[in-house]
Amino acid sequence: MTYFPEEVVEHIFDFLSSHRDRNIVSTVCKAWYRVERLSRRSVFVGNCYAVRPGRVMARFPGTKCLSVKGKPHFADFNLVPHDWGGFALPWIEAAARGCPGLEELRLKRMVVSDESLELLARSFPNFKALVLVSCEGFSTDGLAAIATHCRGLRELDLQENEVEDHGRQWLSCFPDSCTSLESLNFACLKGEVNAGALERLVARCVNLRSLKLNRAISVESLARILVRTPHLVELGTGSFTVEHRAEAYQRLIHAFRKCKSLKSLSGFWDVAPRCLQSIYSICPNLTVLNLSYAPAIQGADLVKLIRHCFKLQKLWVLDCIGDKGLAVVASTCKELQELRVFPSDIYGTGTAAVTEEGLVAISSGCSKLNSLLYFCHQMTNAALITVAKNCPHFTRFRLCILDPGKPDPDTNQPLDEGFGAIVRSCNDLRRLSLSGLLTDTVFLYIGEYAARLEMLSIAFAGDSDKGMVYVLNGCKNLRKLEIRDSPFGDAALLENVGKYETMRSLWMSSCDVTLGGCKALAAKMPRLNVEVINDRVESDEMEENPSDMHKVEKMYVYRTLAGARNDAPEFVDIL
Amino acid sequence: MGDQSNSPSSSIDSSSHPALCSTSSSFQTRRDLLSTDLKLGLGLSTSALHGSSSKQREQLSHWPPIKPLLRSTLEEKVHRSHSKTFFVKVYMEGLPIGRKLDLFSHNGYDSLMRTLRRMFRTTIICPDTSRVPPEKAHVLTYEDKEGDWMMVGDVPWELFLTTVKRLKITRADKC
Repeated sequence: MTYFPEEVVEHIFDFLSSHRDRNIVSTVCKAWYRVERLSRRSVFVGNCYAVRPGRVMARFPGTKCLSVKGKPHFADFNLVPHDWGGFALPWIEAAARGCPGLEELRLKRMVVSDESLELLARSFPNFKALVLVSCEGFSTDGLAAIATHCRGLRELDLQENEVEDHGRQWLSCFPDSCTSLESLNFACLKGEVNAGALERLVARCVNLRSLKLNRAISVESLARILVRTPHLVELGTGSFTVEHRAEAYQRLIHAFRKCKSLKSLSGFWDVAPRCLQSIYSICPNLTVLNLSYAPAIQGADLVKLIRHCFKLQKLWVLDCIGDKGLAVVASTCKELQELRVFPSDIYGTGTAAVTEEGLVAISSGCSKLNSLLYFCHQMTNAALITVAKNCPHFTRFRLCILDPGKPDPDTNQPLDEGFGAIVRSCNDLRRLSLSGLLTDTVFLYIGEYAARLEMLSIAFAGDSDKGMVYVLNGCKNLRKLEIRDSPFGDAALLENVGKYETMRSLWMSSCDVTLGGCKALAAKMPRLNVEVINDRVESDEMEENPSDMHKVEKMYVYRTLAGARNDAPEFVDIL
Repeated sequence: MGDQSNSPSSSIDSSSHPALCSTSSSFQTRRDLLSTDLKLGLGLSTSALHGSSSKQREQLSHWPPIKPLLRSTLEEKVHRSHSKTFFVKVYMEGLPIGRKLDLFSHNGYDSLMRTLRRMFRTTIICPDTSRVPPEKAHVLTYEDKEGDWMMVGDVPWELFLTTVKRLKITRADKC
């Protein structure tokens, strides 16, 4: 290959689509390293503290798409204190200096300030796409800057962010000359937007294919929008509050009938069951349906809707659908690949939910199922064994039994055998979340059989250090391990310290790891950052110098080339 | 990316599960802590088993593992069904100063009558009583959406709630 001109090598590298493959070829020899780095267009940084931003831009000056992730996954469930870190500004500053040709930026679980959005808006003349997922720290002022300055913006996708509402004028900041939008998602915004400006914007953006509105958008406005955007492929409705006798509702039905390209629907926040009928005409074409924000719709209405959706590939619902509803899904949605069933009753008022029966029904009917997130009240080993047999193609399997540590209700046994069957049968399993009563045995199975496992989430499980050690010694592709409320201590933590350099990160909270254990890990492995995150309340009560025997409440360990970070708040100790 | 609850109180009581006897004691303590947290969260009274440190109360918001947007949507649904009020004016004939009454805090006509009797200290007759009303009795009437004054009690409670604008207690001998 060294006899080929560089352009040819570069052209060959173009065929490598995954980051991992490109990373590997860059290690073959200096020549390949050079060709690869200059031709790399898409860079993915899984942990923003693993490497300095400047270094990334220096190595890949031609970067057009940059993805960066910040906080650990458990931050989604409020386990990471608010100002832990994960700031986007250094990345945007470095990109502004080193890669002014940047076109796309994707950030997940990061703190993005209005200042950084303003810098972003002014620094990249070719900027086309901004995707922010589970971020916080910005307001509609930052969005106004993006709308104002990013000429040629194609995509603005805001998913589940915390955005401060500083008024509705941000949307009006898209100039009249802006016609390039293809995807606009502001579903997570709490405030109102200027409906007239929105309607004019979507009307002039003829390539718009994905539009996700927020709750403040009325049905009247939705109907007017749909009339202007008949080529939409993805739609997130607004509140959908309408009296079914109202004229607006009739106009909406009419507008839906014109949208022959619609394949994905979400939103439906306040929809009354009767108004679901308005989308029956679209259902036969739907491949994606997200009803997880519509707690007002009970099982029977959901079922009536689902019966029309035979092309569905991805379904997100609340557990009001019930086991019987899931049986209807199983018989109707033969193309189903991904199912998420969320809990609707988090205060235990005792309303209907789903059990192992629903899952077994789904597994019998939907042979293509490969991704599952399932919140339920109970699960049995027999059911899991059946599911494992019916669906050997799972790549993601996340089960959350709402009562932590609950055993199999039929046998009172732990769920070790059930999960063991899953890992044995599903050879492509990349992500697994466990729940229910579990002993060290389940980890023995995981370590032995889950060869492709990359991410494992553990809560209230295991008996002893052996459990964690089985996983660390066994799963050779493990990248992320997150553990809460489980009896793993220093012995497990220190058993295989080299393992952590092969992983992105390890999170342990409310376990038995002590400060002394963390210090020992940090001393042995200088290329890991061992962060001890102290609970605010406790740190007021804590003495100046806690003893090494003190149990650590939250610990986050990650490999890094950047050394200890300098933006850590005072409640984080980097050992 | 999740890119996307609690079981009834009876199943939270972990000490009733025989299988748990075999688990390590620290694990059981941890689960008992959580079960206390869950009870605190559900607003059920509990004896001070483990004391309620703010740390335990903080733990409560971390289970089940759902994202903030879904949690707030579900919480809102709960609040909506609990806190909605519908106050109407109530006048008694002969008294210039009226009262206000939350109809949503009552689940039917009986409950409403009891409250009114207590508020105005008078006997209020229901339309279905066949006894001859004593002179000092009153009847309950309401003004509906069309502005007409009707006797309370003829239509189902839920329908009544959708049409009532205000109430008036008038002397029985006037009807």
